Amino acid sequence: MLKEYRTLVPFVRRYRWSYIAGIACLAVTSGSQILIPQFLRRAIDAVSWGGFDLRTIGVLMIQLIGVSIVIALGRFGWRYFIHGASRRIEAELRARLFEKFLMLQPSFYHRSQVGDLMALSTNDMNSVRMASGMALVALFDGVFLTAGILGILFVQSPRIAAIVILPLPFITGLILFAGRFIRGLFLKVQEGFSSLSQQAHEMLSGVRVIKSFVKEQFFLGKFADSNAEYQGRNMKLVRIWGLFFPLVSFLAGITTLLLLRYGGEGVILGSVSAGEFVATLSYLEMLIWPMLGAGFTVNLLQRGAASLQRINAVLDETPEIASPPDGVRVMPSTAISIRNLSFTYPGASASALHGVSLEVPEGSILGILGRTGSGKSTLLRLLPRTDNPPRGTVFVGGVDVLDYDLKTLREAFGSVPQDTFLFSVSLRDNIGFGLDDPDETLIRHAADVSTISRDMQTFPDGWETEVGERGITLSGGQKQRVAISRALAKKPRILVFDDALSAVDTETEELILNQLLSERSATTSIIVSHRVSTLAAADKIAVLDQGRLIQYGTHAELLTQDGFYREVSLLQQLSEQKTYTDPEDI
Amino acid sequence: MEEEQVLSGYNPRVMRRLLSYAKPYRLLAVIAIISLGIGTAGDLLLPIVIQRAVDDSLIARFTRIPAEHVIEFRAAEFDDAIVLSGATYIPDDKLVALSGVDRIGLTESGVLDEAGYYVFPYDDALTSTFDGSFGNVVTDTGTVDGRQYASIDAAELDELSDQQRRLIRGDDLSELRRTTLVFFVLLASVLAFTFAQIYFMALVGQGVMKDMRMELFSHTIRQRLGYLSRHPVGKLVTRVTNDVETVNQFFTDVLINLLRNLALMIGSVATIMLLNWRLGLVTLATLPPVLVLTVFFRERAREVYRKVRMWVSRVNAFLSEHLSGMSIVQLFVRERKVWGEFTERNDELLRANLGEMYVFAVFRPIIDLLSSVSIAIVIYYGANFLLSGVVSLGVLIAFVNLIRRFYQPVMSISEQFTILQSALAGSERVFEMLDDVDRIPDDGKRTSPRPITGSVEFDHVWFEYKEGEPVIRDLSFRINPGETVAVVGYTGAGKTTIANLLTRMWDIQRGRILLDGVDIREYSLDALRTVIQPIQQDVFLFSDTVGSNIALGRELSKDELREISVLVQAGFIERLPDGFESALTEGATNISTGERQLLSFARILAHDPRIIIMDEATASIDTQTEQLIQVAVGTIMEGRTSLVIAHRLSTIKHADRILVLAQGELVEQGTHATLIAEQGIYHNLYKLQYQDSTIT
Repeated sequence: MLKEYRTLVPFVRRYRWSYIAGIACLAVTSGSQILIPQFLRRAIDAVSWGGFDLRTIGVLMIQLIGVSIVIALGRFGWRYFIHGASRRIEAELRARLFEKFLMLQPSFYHRSQVGDLMALSTNDMNSVRMASGMALVALFDGVFLTAGILGILFVQSPRIAAIVILPLPFITGLILFAGRFIRGLFLKVQEGFSSLSQQAHEMLSGVRVIKSFVKEQFFLGKFADSNAEYQGRNMKLVRIWGLFFPLVSFLAGITTLLLLRYGGEGVILGSVSAGEFVATLSYLEMLIWPMLGAGFTVNLLQRGAASLQRINAVLDETPEIASPPDGVRVMPSTAISIRNLSFTYPGASASALHGVSLEVPEGSILGILGRTGSGKSTLLRLLPRTDNPPRGTVFVGGVDVLDYDLKTLREAFGSVPQDTFLFSVSLRDNIGFGLDDPDETLIRHAADVSTISRDMQTFPDGWETEVGERGITLSGGQKQRVAISRALAKKPRILVFDDALSAVDTETEELILNQLLSERSATTSIIVSHRVSTLAAADKIAVLDQGRLIQYGTHAELLTQDGFYREVSLLQQLSEQKTYTDPEDI
Repeated sequence: MEEEQVLSGYNPRVMRRLLSYAKPYRLLAVIAIISLGIGTAGDLLLPIVIQRAVDDSLIARFTRIPAEHVIEFRAAEFDDAIVLSGATYIPDDKLVALSGVDRIGLTESGVLDEAGYYVFPYDDALTSTFDGSFGNVVTDTGTVDGRQYASIDAAELDELSDQQRRLIRGDDLSELRRTTLVFFVLLASVLAFTFAQIYFMALVGQGVMKDMRMELFSHTIRQRLGYLSRHPVGKLVTRVTNDVETVNQFFTDVLINLLRNLALMIGSVATIMLLNWRLGLVTLATLPPVLVLTVFFRERAREVYRKVRMWVSRVNAFLSEHLSGMSIVQLFVRERKVWGEFTERNDELLRANLGEMYVFAVFRPIIDLLSSVSIAIVIYYGANFLLSGVVSLGVLIAFVNLIRRFYQPVMSISEQFTILQSALAGSERVFEMLDDVDRIPDDGKRTSPRPITGSVEFDHVWFEYKEGEPVIRDLSFRINPGETVAVVGYTGAGKTTIANLLTRMWDIQRGRILLDGVDIREYSLDALRTVIQPIQQDVFLFSDTVGSNIALGRELSKDELREISVLVQAGFIERLPDGFESALTEGATNISTGERQLLSFARILAHDPRIIIMDEATASIDTQTEQLIQVAVGTIMEGRTSLVIAHRLSTIKHADRILVLAQGELVEQGTHATLIAEQGIYHNLYKLQYQDSTIT
């Protein structure tokens, strides 16, 4: 368990002075706390023996207030130092985790769920923080305060001390035992919750089926069952967890009861003074927190270790796609050469590409046509190393893409992926996303080319309009045009469109293509499209089917060949009708 | 992840509405509150029991009034006064009615004996231990109610043996044992009632949560498809799960604890006043600082808490968004910039967290300090009062205890107010969603009284999803019972929309759609959708067994299922490891696209609609399954009115009639033969012999 904490060692070393100061404050606090009941004892004894001087009591009480001020300062101090350090460690660890996230490759994101990764940064960070802060405090109090108080109690009246502390270990034991038990029940509740969420998610996603088949009642019934099941699990937890704190109070009460019984007897028989009795009463009250604390420490450390284990698993991931040492930092030209490229996704049984060879001279346009699953997107992903191609298969400017510095390679590309992803920032920031220095003219120009600038007046805040989560406030065509602007704004040397105009009507598409063609000059371009009208502008067209290159030539050549390209082309010539975007995407 | 509005301020309307959900559980709530009352009372009684033990057993001294002053002092009128050899003994704690000045005066004039005395019954067992010196040790002796009593100066007691002390104070010892027993019973009942309070309140909270979640979910699922496509599923799920969860928190964490803490604070003050009003007033005088501080703290706490919540949700939103869009970040080489943006937010979160920490780090120790100051002041004045006999030692000890009990909840109460507000904000979001009713009006009275023959007619139908962008324009056509009609056209021509309109997933803006000559709006939604059912392009399957995905809750026997699967050529089911019991994973990734298609046919047969609308799949399907699908399609269309949104010319060729759609308008219509003869669009399509290929 402790080996998971290795991740924290450098942090703790950095904040060692905070920790030392915090522990010093804690020591002052605990030490002073132990004094308080002594003042009470002396005051009560003076009072119960009678014949006391009121000034003595006054002086005692002023001392008590003085010590209380020291305690308050000490308490502030340890919170300030220890909580401060653990909060900072939490923030730094979270930042380190995010840094790692930025380096990891798609295959990592493919096998992990965003929700789980989020949990690392939220719940797991919390438990690490608790382990690096509260656990320490609880441990210190558990050991030192307990030792100090027990010392005093045993010096004062060993026999009574021995009896009254009997229930205290049960408090610690209760936490250790119940902790594990409660945790099991708690996990069950969480499972119930996530299965409820999952069910709600599935039913709302499949709501069309539910409505179509008039199954509202049936599915509501199923949901009701899970809902009741979740309630049941909660109540099971409450049955145990609800007993926990009352039971701790009860055990604490029993120590008081033992004091009352045996300490009281001592007072009656004169072996214990009334002041000692009252002081012991206070001490016992003070012992409850360290006893709870000792149990909590163990739980917190265990939980922290489990969380750290999950965090470490991510921190220990080696990024599969990284710059080679001394990567090439200059791209001599943007001519792309693909040589006998075959590619299989890890874990997949069939290969996505088989022996594909293509040459795209600098400044030319390659068009790609193929059905869903023909390997078009895979081919595009291998160029900027979103996935790693096998060595010796993909070259840009005569250099194997694997040999480039990753930044040099990727900065050359301006990509518009098939699945349009926009960030929930303003339109301007989305378009300028790829720019180090968001230059207004570049952004405006890119927006003009993609024709999204035409729509600007229809947005409530123009350029500053927030596009919402994943661009939810925009139509499919608008999203694609923003994504096109984003790729153009960075003035890339190689432009890659993966079916980037699918949601744009043909008229607009033509407008965009014309503007692109008129100014792309030396840009090498690869355009995947299902529309022959788009592909016609390409210098060469590749037709892919099931990962193989089945046709390769110019538009004119392919039109004269019998084959997929001609079929599609003739079919699409039939209607020059303007098509509309289909907004229903449930 | 949106930024939730954390603290909307206290809203009595939301609070009342929330409480109204607890109505069905009011009996449980009453039990919980009664338990709370008893538990709290028990909690407050514990210090009283200790006080009693101290005064009646532990200290239990008497003041002696010599015989000559008994009459003048009217000593016999005091409670529990005992007369031995003419002198009267009055328990110390019964003398508190005397003012301090009186008492000092009386002691000086010899009316009250200065020393403290113990009064005890004795017998031979005790006297025999003194070897005849008993008479010298004791001050007075006498008989009370037939028992022999003696009195002894408290200072003398220390000179005696342990055994003698035990015998002399035997009554006090047995009284202490009884008190201990009472203490135990109190502890046990506090345990029982506190648990009862927690348990019953949890039943209330859980019940309300369950009801509200069910109400919200069934409300949501009945909203129109337009509403559901406008709101991201994730957000809806969050409302149904997390936000409803805060409602439970409201009842079990906030409401009951707030009540309990208030009861404890008021109870301790009341007990203090009852025990001794003079010392009570002194105690009360020390409380205003804590009240002022609490009010001040609440403001600060709310502020810092709001900040923390805000930055937590910003960091999380940023994280979740960039984890989803990581490939874009990497493709555009924006790692450095995004890292910078993240650390900015993360630092703000740290700052907010530290801000919260400072507030609590200051507040908590100050509250503790104030509690100590209160105790010190009370002990000082208490000692003064004790000196003058106004309070007993036990009462003073009880005060110390009760003051601690008063200060304990101060801290948590201010925190609970903050949680209360966030719980109310959660409920407010739930109520908002419940109040946003957006359904397809379902006031059709017809519940298909007679068998539907299955004719469908579009009569000058206009429809748009977004204002100003009509998808269907003035569309009119008729399908006769039992006819198979194919709709062809390009993506976006409005083909799929026809299916949505016919089943009233969306309502048209102009024109009429008739089923058997009657406007579909005159049928109840249930009736309409039982008659007309769609087969979707991308089949949605639930993560359940194959069998339940077909039956969707209908009671179908194994044999019926098998019969249906044979009819739709879904022989693959029998080859699955558990047949119909095989579980489908999320998104049904464990079966092929073609197989999913066959399952959706089985679903249709299991529900036997009169009219089907089939949206043919465009995805490529392997040749073998493709052939099975062709056969199955023939089977399910038999005897039914079918509208096929066709992508395969082979399907189209078999149709009785073909509608060619473009831009939401009907451009050609006719049978295969007439359309060929027209030499129009369809003719060209056919000439291409575009069989088995798909238009994508």
